[in-house]
Amino acid sequence: MSRRKMFLKMVTASLLRRRSRMLIALLSIAIGATILSGLVTIYYDVPRQMGAQFRGYGANMILVPSGEEKMTLEKARECLSVIPEDQLLGATPYRYANVEMTSRQRTFVAAATDFEQVQATSPYFAVEGRWPEGDREVLVGKETAETIGVKLNNVIELSYKPEDTYVKNTLNMTVVGILETGGDEEAYIFTTLKAMDALTGVSGQLDVMEMSVSAASEELENYVAEISEKNSDMSARLVKRVTKSETTVLAKLQSLVFLVTAVVLLLTMICVSTTMMAVVSERRKEIGLRKALGASDQSIRAEFLGEGMFLGLLGGILGTALGFAFAQVVSVNVFGSSITFQPLLLPITVIVSMGIAALSCLLPIRRAIEIDPALVLKGE
Amino acid sequence: MIRGALFRQRGKMLLIAFTIALGTSLATAMLNVMLDVGDKVNQELKTYGANITVKPKDSSLLSDLYDVEDDGDVIQTSYLKEEEVGKLKTIFWAFNIVDFAPFIDTGITLADGNQVKLVGTWFNHHLELPTGENLDVGVTSLRTWWDITEGSWLDEQTEGTENAVMIGAVLAEREGWKVGDAIFLEGPAGSCEAVVAGVFDAGGDEDEQIYAPLDLVQELSDTEGKVAYIEVSALTTPDNDLAKRAAQNPAALSAKDYETWYCTAYVSAICYQIQEAITDSVASAVRQVAESEGAILDKTQLLMILITILSLIGSALGISNLVTASVMERAQEIGLLKAIGAKDRSITGLVLTEILITALVGGVAGYFLGFGFAQLIGHSVFGSAIEMKVMVIPIVIVLISLVTAAGSLPAIRMVLRLRPAEVLHGSKA
Repeated sequence: MSRRKMFLKMVTASLLRRRSRMLIALLSIAIGATILSGLVTIYYDVPRQMGAQFRGYGANMILVPSGEEKMTLEKARECLSVIPEDQLLGATPYRYANVEMTSRQRTFVAAATDFEQVQATSPYFAVEGRWPEGDREVLVGKETAETIGVKLNNVIELSYKPEDTYVKNTLNMTVVGILETGGDEEAYIFTTLKAMDALTGVSGQLDVMEMSVSAASEELENYVAEISEKNSDMSARLVKRVTKSETTVLAKLQSLVFLVTAVVLLLTMICVSTTMMAVVSERRKEIGLRKALGASDQSIRAEFLGEGMFLGLLGGILGTALGFAFAQVVSVNVFGSSITFQPLLLPITVIVSMGIAALSCLLPIRRAIEIDPALVLKGE
Repeated sequence: MIRGALFRQRGKMLLIAFTIALGTSLATAMLNVMLDVGDKVNQELKTYGANITVKPKDSSLLSDLYDVEDDGDVIQTSYLKEEEVGKLKTIFWAFNIVDFAPFIDTGITLADGNQVKLVGTWFNHHLELPTGENLDVGVTSLRTWWDITEGSWLDEQTEGTENAVMIGAVLAEREGWKVGDAIFLEGPAGSCEAVVAGVFDAGGDEDEQIYAPLDLVQELSDTEGKVAYIEVSALTTPDNDLAKRAAQNPAALSAKDYETWYCTAYVSAICYQIQEAITDSVASAVRQVAESEGAILDKTQLLMILITILSLIGSALGISNLVTASVMERAQEIGLLKAIGAKDRSITGLVLTEILITALVGGVAGYFLGFGFAQLIGHSVFGSAIEMKVMVIPIVIVLISLVTAAGSLPAIRMVLRLRPAEVLHGSKA
């Protein structure tokens, strides 16, 4: 029998014959590996997932024409091409005009927009009733609704007099929703872009484009610079209130998860190694016996290390799978979205578990080897 | 015998105590952090500014009746009383009101004929409440996202700031103003000369406005003692169904629900209490801030709970694993005890007592260690201490005793089942 074969046989035999002990050691390594891979996955995933939550604060970038001239939807779309599609959660065009409500002889600010995009960029808009679907339907801000006393399903007549004519353009609109935001928007009347075009007689103009971009603040600044550089007549700006606060809070959350991960990992790893030490030091007699039979320190060490590392390998693989399952559960429960598996995590977890297993074997082995075999065998 | 076991096997017992201490500290640290993370993150979220605005009840109605308008800007005809602003700190949830500032604005004319909006507010106002409490409130902490590009924040509490103003960056550039420049302001009810104390970059409409102390603006617009609206930053509990129902009509709630709602820091409850405290006011939640805050708070708490559960399971398994291993290691000793006639029950009692004593020592040490870890996390992440929650102690005690018992009992039973002769012989185990 060759040396290698003998080594393998001794390792596997000890693993198989001492099943319950080895199971304990394996279990403890697997727990450590699970916590390692689970927490690291969460740590890497949290900024992305939390960042998405922060988009609830609304648009973090706006695009406005830099000169007097208004921008067009096409022009705005062109500027948006700078931002990767998967980061752009929504881009809402806005066009404002003072329209008159004929029955009350009062003017209000009308904001024309794309309602689908509004729901993406401003998820905090609360609508009583429903969002407008057709061009003859409007959303009225709560404040305005209270002042003029309109209710759901009332029909209001809006009119607008273009500057160079004497004829008013008039449209009858149905109020399908009352908007509540707690902000200035409550004073506006929201229509579709098409309705606004019909009212004003001028189409395709925009005042501002609000964007909700899921990116870190440096990235956002790069986009802003790039847009302004490529289009001299446009200027993109960050909504500081949102971006700055987001950066502060997100940084805190990230360092919280980081520290928690670090503390949990440290404590778990020490726990794992104490268990391994207990399992190995139990075998002092065996070590003494082998030494008495003439085994070299080297070969004893190699065999125990081999055993430990084999356990580390197994536990590491098991732990990676369990840890990923855990991270997935967390992600689905907390953020309602799944996470992708990081392939790099498998080798890292396995190497760390093997390293810890080897390290925690070494100490008790060395102590057992140093002692005179006679004493060990006698049980003193 | 117990003493003997504890002292003679010092090395092994130390190892067990050490592991239990680690497990306990992990559980303690995570539970403490988890229970306090909501408050901490809530504080952080205050950087988004006010989440409640208080306006006079009939502001829009009155202006509508008289149809007073000026370039689309509705002229305000009703106001809140400045003397009542401090009452915000007298409501049931006063402790949760972190900051607030009253505002009043007016259009003014500059020396070159340009029209600009002048906003009067408190920057760092010192307030003495009837309750004897003293506090400083104002926009300095409500507008954390402002960059002061030149000069510094206005501070009413320093001398000679009665005529000082802060100007927006865009306006400063357009007019060519610098810190220290004297500017002329012509208001609807008077004029004055003001000194630029600071230039701010807010990244919004404010960049084209002038911010001045409240008194100065009231003087210029003949609105002494009046404020147009108040921004309030409050710590709130995320809304649930009850809060949503209450927000629509608190009167429709049952007495019990009403009490629960009133005594919980829901944003709607705080708004309701503000309305009670300030005459003829309407307090409404700024949904942009209030709603996102709720979502982020909920997510963070849930995340921490799940991480805590994982680490609790981890430390529980770790401890019971080690205990199992250490009991099995003592198979020979237990076999010997059995061989000389000890009863199963007394052996179990003996081993269990030993381990529980070790667990107690480890647990106490671990609790303090874990508390230290929690403070470490609190200080380095949030810059403030994590509150020591008493309920953590019983949870940890129950957890550790259960875990050690669960780890040792099956192992003891297994060893007892073996025949003493075999164990002593060493052929099995």
